[in-house]
Amino acid sequence: MKIMVCLKQVPHRDARLDVRADGTWIQEDNIKFEINSYDTYALEEALRVKDAGGAEVVVVSIGPDRVSQALRTALGMGADRAIHVKDPATDGSDALGTAKILAAVAKQESPDLILTGFMSEDANFAAVPPMLAELAGVPHTTAAVKVERSNGTLRVDREIEGGAYEVVELDAPCLVSVQTGINQVRYASLKGIMAAKKKPLDVKTAADLGLAGKVGAAAAKVKVTKVAPPAKGDRAEILQGSTDQVVSSLVHKIKELGLL
Amino acid sequence: MPGILIVAEIANGKIREASFELASLAERIASGTGRAVKSLVAGQGVAALAEDFAKRGGGEVLAADHELLGQNHSEAHIAVIRAAIATSGADLVLFSNTPTGWDVAPRIAAGLDAAFVSDCFRIDAEGGSLVFHRRVFNGKLDATLSVSGGPVVATIQPGATAPFSGATQGKVTPLQVPLAKDKLRARFVAVKQAEAKGVDLSKAEIIVSGGRGLGAPEKFPEVIQPLANALGGAMGASRPVVDAGWLPHEYQVGSSGQVVQPKLYIACGISGAIQHLMGMKTSNYIIAINKDPDAPIFEVANLGVVADLFEIVPALTKAVLAAKG
Repeated sequence: MKIMVCLKQVPHRDARLDVRADGTWIQEDNIKFEINSYDTYALEEALRVKDAGGAEVVVVSIGPDRVSQALRTALGMGADRAIHVKDPATDGSDALGTAKILAAVAKQESPDLILTGFMSEDANFAAVPPMLAELAGVPHTTAAVKVERSNGTLRVDREIEGGAYEVVELDAPCLVSVQTGINQVRYASLKGIMAAKKKPLDVKTAADLGLAGKVGAAAAKVKVTKVAPPAKGDRAEILQGSTDQVVSSLVHKIKELGLL
Repeated sequence: MPGILIVAEIANGKIREASFELASLAERIASGTGRAVKSLVAGQGVAALAEDFAKRGGGEVLAADHELLGQNHSEAHIAVIRAAIATSGADLVLFSNTPTGWDVAPRIAAGLDAAFVSDCFRIDAEGGSLVFHRRVFNGKLDATLSVSGGPVVATIQPGATAPFSGATQGKVTPLQVPLAKDKLRARFVAVKQAEAKGVDLSKAEIIVSGGRGLGAPEKFPEVIQPLANALGGAMGASRPVVDAGWLPHEYQVGSSGQVVQPKLYIACGISGAIQHLMGMKTSNYIIAINKDPDAPIFEVANLGVVADLFEIVPALTKAVLAAKG
């Protein structure tokens, strides 16, 4: 059994979000990056299948040099191989472009299962997983909080509204996007990190994947024209002053609401 | 002629409110861009729902009636949506960003090789072209997006648009699509309702919630619970806290946990990811305490304190107890 796990490296959740000069995205130089949290749960889910009886876990990521760090971390956690799609020609791809790149990798790898995070913490699109499933020609489901396997089918609990779950059965090969909290994600051990240095990390270009000219900014159908802090029209009244002053204002307000 | 296709959603035997929101959005885009509005209502025994939607903003409703559509078999619904797009000739397809919408809409877009924008809170039709507005970085920034070339698929945040309120002269056209259960590779099995909660936040008049800013699980009994107790309220939490295993799921406030509407909601160390805001933003009064002045929680709060919660919350607990005498 082969499991392909798609990882995205995103700005660290506590990174400063300064809008860059052209106003279309954030300043990404000199900030810390990490593996998208949703994707770490997908990787953990794959590693649990491996631990339980064997699976080859292949991690895939797209992006510049810094992405190799995310892939090394994944290898350190226990993934067997990594594929780094590193090519400036893929820069500026929209979700569909990203899905095309990953689908081309999936075509070369023929995994039995593709695991991804439910969405990325930066763009928040949640689009690539279903798109990748479509392009790879496999069934899918999203926002999984439980995955069980038996005889070529997967039984997945997917999160819906109000704390309820929808149970879905999928024929393999298939794709499942994973919600946070599905498991407790392991850390890479020192031994794992040492072993990771010897594990294969293949670098591929758009041309290697037969996608020259088909992905990247020029092919993107969706463009971000502007990012900015949300309008601050009706924000909260911010209390100023010492802790004592703030606390007494809060108590006053709670009394005014008739709750004290 | 280009057109708009609304993919309506049925829940508990009714067209969802979010679908009527799509209808009002579609009406506005239609008048700005000269498109016609059509809709898809798919389910089992949908004749009456389709008639109703046609009269309340759905325009020409394509009604797909099939046993397999009565349940959420995603591949059956996808087949019908594809047929409806082909039949209607729509070049703009609108879904709600619900668990069903986010599951199928990107797949439909990829199949059409179409532009896709998810979770929009607004779409403007400026001089015939469409401009999309959505949040990025978990609500910390607003993004404006444009699309080029060919069809567009978009999902819209429920609650972001007022629902359609007028009356329209619609009509219903049946849409026949051959479907077979043995062809489905993704099969709906069941809905598991949320388990009975040991903690029922829906009845609490006051909720004090903690987030990632608490930093460690023991801070909940040490800092949050005492304030909740002092106020005679209940304790809640945001998703990252539950994901980390600090508190059980029954404490989770948000679209995937409990949706609450207390008289007073106090958010401590919660940045305000959209999924949390969806679960508490209709509270009667909201106080937010957070170190980060740019945290999205301050957008829904009435009163905010930009400070270390470990200074404010214990002092507030003491002051509340003193005020009670």
